[in-house]
Amino acid sequence: MSDETDQPLVVEGLTKEFGRVVANDDVSFAVDGGEVFGFLGPNGAGKSTTIRLLLGLLKPTSGTARVLGADIHDEAALTEAKRRIGYLPAHLGFDEEATGEAVLDYHGEMKGDRRREELLELFTPPIERPVREYSTGNKRMLGLVQAFMHDPDLVIMDEPTGGLDPLKQEAFNEFVREERDRGTTVFFSSHVLSEVRRVCDRVGILRAGSLVELENVEALLHRSGKHVRVHASDAAVAAIADLDGVVDPERFTEGVQFIYAGDVNALLRELATHDVRDVEIGEPPIEDVFAHYYGSEEAADESEGNGGGAEARNESDAAEEGSNA
Amino acid sequence: MLETARYEGRRRLRGAAILTAGVGAYAGFIVWYFTVLEGVDYEDVFRDLPPAMLEAFGIESLSTIEGFLGAQVFNFVWLLGLGLYFAYVAGGTVAGDIETERMELLLSFPVTRSRLLVEKSAALLVPMIAVNALGGPIIYLFVVAVGETVPLDHLLLAHLLSIPFLLVCAGVGLVFSVAVDRAAIAERAAVGTVFVLYLVESVVGGADAYDWIQYLSPTQYYEPTPILIEGSFEPIDSAILLVASLGLLILSQALFERRDI
Repeated sequence: MSDETDQPLVVEGLTKEFGRVVANDDVSFAVDGGEVFGFLGPNGAGKSTTIRLLLGLLKPTSGTARVLGADIHDEAALTEAKRRIGYLPAHLGFDEEATGEAVLDYHGEMKGDRRREELLELFTPPIERPVREYSTGNKRMLGLVQAFMHDPDLVIMDEPTGGLDPLKQEAFNEFVREERDRGTTVFFSSHVLSEVRRVCDRVGILRAGSLVELENVEALLHRSGKHVRVHASDAAVAAIADLDGVVDPERFTEGVQFIYAGDVNALLRELATHDVRDVEIGEPPIEDVFAHYYGSEEAADESEGNGGGAEARNESDAAEEGSNA
Repeated sequence: MLETARYEGRRRLRGAAILTAGVGAYAGFIVWYFTVLEGVDYEDVFRDLPPAMLEAFGIESLSTIEGFLGAQVFNFVWLLGLGLYFAYVAGGTVAGDIETERMELLLSFPVTRSRLLVEKSAALLVPMIAVNALGGPIIYLFVVAVGETVPLDHLLLAHLLSIPFLLVCAGVGLVFSVAVDRAAIAERAAVGTVFVLYLVESVVGGADAYDWIQYLSPTQYYEPTPILIEGSFEPIDSAILLVASLGLLILSQALFERRDI
């Protein structure tokens, strides 16, 4: 039972095939109690499949997972565990004819609603109106209320902020952090890195059904290298762009910008040998970190050619060595 | 306990009211029409029809109000109309929720799939009971209003014994509902199946060599006209229908348990 509180979510070799399509390929990870875990990946990577497997909506082809100690193969145990699980699906299929209030009444009867009023002050769907009149954002807020209303120990959310306006998104981020501080474990999927970066303690990155990276957010940013912008002569730019660890160099009229994943000292030594007019070294835009894993076509070909996840993992290990050296 | 049945049952109230009103209005029209036709020698009119046709429409004794109701209201509305209606509605129960992804929310509740299915199916009893519990008195009042009488116990039996039949039709819908992802397909398949079974029973009834086929049809086990006229029925028929509906429910549960959502 200590397992349950220490690691509310343990995924072991979870595989799901739909015919010839492998939606989840041997996915393994564990989420610690009281942490916010981001499950990151582009659309179609298999994030929703993992989530549906965890809730017993899909039957795994192989592998298993334990959710609050309940094996997902054991319907009785998983059903009992669901009393303490909140779920926010990506697409909210509420009963369109019912009012938000009627929907919450029903959800409350099924799983409890002791935090309902408090949540309705934070997220404000027009609960007196029928759901069919709701905007996407209102539906999402109704979804958030129902996901947290029974004060669950573990909350699983699939793309939770889709459709929320920026203010509500910020309220959501703040809320998730507070929930974490209260001891709630939060697992959510996203394809937006900036969102994950703001609220998550750790992230897992899923690509084409395989988990390619599992790190805390800081380490992810660290190993994803630096964003470098150099103003220099053409000859200097050519030499700098040839440096080991330079990714995606992009020339502009007065210089070059790139992501640098190598040893920072080597970069500085190289820069010192040239007549540099200006240099900026900073944290890469989060989208570039993303592109580092998903954008580069060579990386995609490589990982496909060599059997997916393992190769991609080696690649990132190499990046780690580089940045730690 | 039964939160889902209560919630789903409430969602069915409006449909049940409309259904009952529609059936009541049609029954009123038929009773009125009976008074208009009074004096016409129906047996004469129908004597030339092929026996299969008489069998198909359950035409036995149109000159009495019981026979007329049996043929025009019960055989058409209860046996065919409501049979198809409940197959259709049951066809949409699970497939509709899967299609709108509402099922994801429902299955995030601490409730097993089989229990959820049973409670959702139980909600179908709302229109089923409403149309009988209210339709019966409505028909009786119409009959009394035109100065005719119909034996109350026969009328009661005709309604009561329709429930196991309608449960089987709903069971057919339920099986399709858990087997496919789209409501429209489950609904059409369920309606088609019940309709084909109805036709098969009507048509094959006359052919001795293949008469066993008619026993596949639920319509074989509920014959409202003799119930209305003579109050006669076979308890075993209702038992067969109840067992069949239970079998269909268990089959649906087994299919629902195994499927991916």
